[in-house]
Amino acid sequence: MSRPVPTRALRAAALLAVAGLVITGCSKSKDDAASAKGATKVKIEITDDGCKTTPSSISAGAATFEVTNTSASKVTEAELLQKSGEIVGEKENLTPGLSGTFSLRLEAGSYTVYCPNAKTEKATFTVTGSAAAPSQDPAVKTALDQAVSGYKQYVIAEVDKLVPATKQFTDAVRAGDIPGAQAAYAPARYYYEEVEPVAESFGDLDPDIDARLDDVEDPSQWTGFHRLEKALWADKSLAGMSPIADKLDTDVAKLKSLVATTDYQPAQLANGATELLNEVASSKITGEEDRYSHTDLSDFQANVAGGQKAFQLLVPALQKIDPQLASQVTQEFTDVLDALKPYQHSAGVFVDYSTVSDDQRRVLTQKVDALAEPLSQVAAKVTG
Amino acid sequence: MPELRASRRGLLALGGAAVAGAAASGALAGCDGDGNGSKAATPVDAKVPFYGAHQAGIATAAPARLAFATYDLTVSGSPEENRAALRELLQTWTAAAAAMTEGKQVPGDSTTLVAPPADTGEAYGASPANLTITFGVGPSLFDDRFGLAAKRPAALADLPKLPPENLDPSRSGGDLAIQACSDDPVVAFHAIRNLARLGRGTVVMRWSQLGFGKATSNGSAQETPRNLMGFKDGTRNIDGTDAQRMDQYVWVGNETDQAWMRGGSYLVARRIAMRIEAWDRDFLADQQHVFGRYKYSGAPLTGSKEFDTPDFGAKDSSGQPVIPVGAHIRLAAHENNGGIRILRRGYSYTDGIVSASGELDAGLFFIAFQKDPRKQFVPLQRSLGAHDALNEYIQHVGSGLFACPPAVSGPDRYWAQELLG
Repeated sequence: MSRPVPTRALRAAALLAVAGLVITGCSKSKDDAASAKGATKVKIEITDDGCKTTPSSISAGAATFEVTNTSASKVTEAELLQKSGEIVGEKENLTPGLSGTFSLRLEAGSYTVYCPNAKTEKATFTVTGSAAAPSQDPAVKTALDQAVSGYKQYVIAEVDKLVPATKQFTDAVRAGDIPGAQAAYAPARYYYEEVEPVAESFGDLDPDIDARLDDVEDPSQWTGFHRLEKALWADKSLAGMSPIADKLDTDVAKLKSLVATTDYQPAQLANGATELLNEVASSKITGEEDRYSHTDLSDFQANVAGGQKAFQLLVPALQKIDPQLASQVTQEFTDVLDALKPYQHSAGVFVDYSTVSDDQRRVLTQKVDALAEPLSQVAAKVTG
Repeated sequence: MPELRASRRGLLALGGAAVAGAAASGALAGCDGDGNGSKAATPVDAKVPFYGAHQAGIATAAPARLAFATYDLTVSGSPEENRAALRELLQTWTAAAAAMTEGKQVPGDSTTLVAPPADTGEAYGASPANLTITFGVGPSLFDDRFGLAAKRPAALADLPKLPPENLDPSRSGGDLAIQACSDDPVVAFHAIRNLARLGRGTVVMRWSQLGFGKATSNGSAQETPRNLMGFKDGTRNIDGTDAQRMDQYVWVGNETDQAWMRGGSYLVARRIAMRIEAWDRDFLADQQHVFGRYKYSGAPLTGSKEFDTPDFGAKDSSGQPVIPVGAHIRLAAHENNGGIRILRRGYSYTDGIVSASGELDAGLFFIAFQKDPRKQFVPLQRSLGAHDALNEYIQHVGSGLFACPPAVSGPDRYWAQELLG
């Protein structure tokens, strides 16, 4: 019985090596080189001892990181972290023989290249100077500055509401009050879903707060809203749930302290809005998100509202850059929210999602896709 | 018609041995042909011209793969606004289709790091592999949304009910249709995917169908392919290079009531599910009588070579027709249908298994082009629907009818410009 295993492992390794060659071959093609034009190239070599970054210091501006794993078996990813610990770029699932790239625009400062499970996990990466001044209309620049500061205030305000709303929910859980906790579940989540892409940028915080059963390897380690959702609607018992409730409060408080000091770039607002729409299409419309409570439409509305807020903050600038795109996306946001209205009983309270037919779900998806496609064009417009 | 079937079977079983012998000798030849054909590499410059008089993908010899999709418009403005939206969509689509058939990426910026690439990229660097992208409009386009009712061709009449059929609305109809054919399945899929993306907000995909192993020959230079029942299909089809027959049966001419369709053609698509498991249990002689041909050589039961003309009058020693009364080739033959012919361009399909039964969900995605479906596909299918022995093993489960306008003459024109202009 033991023999087929090493053979198989060997064969898999050989296959991966071939795949690696293909990828390497492609990345050398002319157009890929052109696509990274003007970007500084940085190589990150994954090894079991640690990640070797060449060069370890670059000038501010566009950068393309090429991550390769020739033979490291314990390390399969590399992340670039800001000083605050926020992930700004990463490449995952690089088993030996594979390589991949990520590109971004870096401001001056000290960063960390993080390779989890390596002997030395962290290495410093420095960005010097300042990016070439974007050739931007000063009025656009001012509008974008207002957009990012407005978004920061918005995130702080929504997380400020999340904390007590979550407490109301967890208090009911700790008190063993099933109906009370059920009623408080969707309203608390609403504030989280509005700003989810921000929470997702803080490493493990989002999985701790919002993981679904299929996201966790070991169900006994499962925490957050959905663990409590299962207890409330599927198990119909809150036995043993107090520690989960306590941890949820702690994690939400952590989020509150992180967002207080997090700053954003205009493109992050636009990309975050697109991510929220993708969230809607990938997990709300399928009914996967709130599979026990069927409160998916409340999350749906929160995702759209959060994306709309980020977009609206960009509109004054976008109107100067591409007024047609600004009005198109504005209209599509209205269409999506209008499409949700027939399912709403009262403010924030929606029909049980299991009663929404496949045909109705399809129409909702098509509206979301019609919005997300032009929305995905916004980030490039607001990047200097 | 259970009793008819039973008697046919009984008869056939007697002559089975002789038939089986003939079939076995044909099998070897069939294998050789297959081996050579499927290994031919596609040259990098395998391009089919996009501009011209007639749309490519009709007379063009069918390549190995199909990606077919229909789209519904989601517009909700006045007829003028809706027409403007449709015009803009078709301008975008035509430019993208022209680029893709040239092996180029969808026009737009695909290299800006901070924007999603204009082209989705899966066909990047690939040969177009004879890609053709054929466009059509369905009857529903002529309702009150676009104010185009007066421009609806009489030949684009809704298909009547054609029993036995069991049409699934979610696999039927559509305001617009795209037939993408290529020797590379990725290239064909890339076309319908990118057109869907370019139309986001104006159209939604209604249904789509992938096809493989072109099931029907439409060119004299091609080895006649086989459908999933194992029989050669298209032996008597119209050859796309036969200009006279193309004009006579396929291209819309001056007889049309709508000048914008002159040089175009009407596409009928039917998703024909095969009861594969039942068919595979049918004995060889019966399979051959259902079609009226020998399975391996493809010869009619009255001949010895594939292209021998069937003799529908021939009787066996007991006075029964050699090609049975319900044989598929008898009912489909132009000789028995007042000279009617259509250009077929079908592909085999499979979509996994039928969840209710666990049986294979597979069959023929039938595509036919013609001058006037009312005079060609409809009477032919009525005749087949009523008597075809094949009906025991197939069911029409999806349907579409589309008017394919002539090709665009150059880069300054767009699809159906004469309709919308």
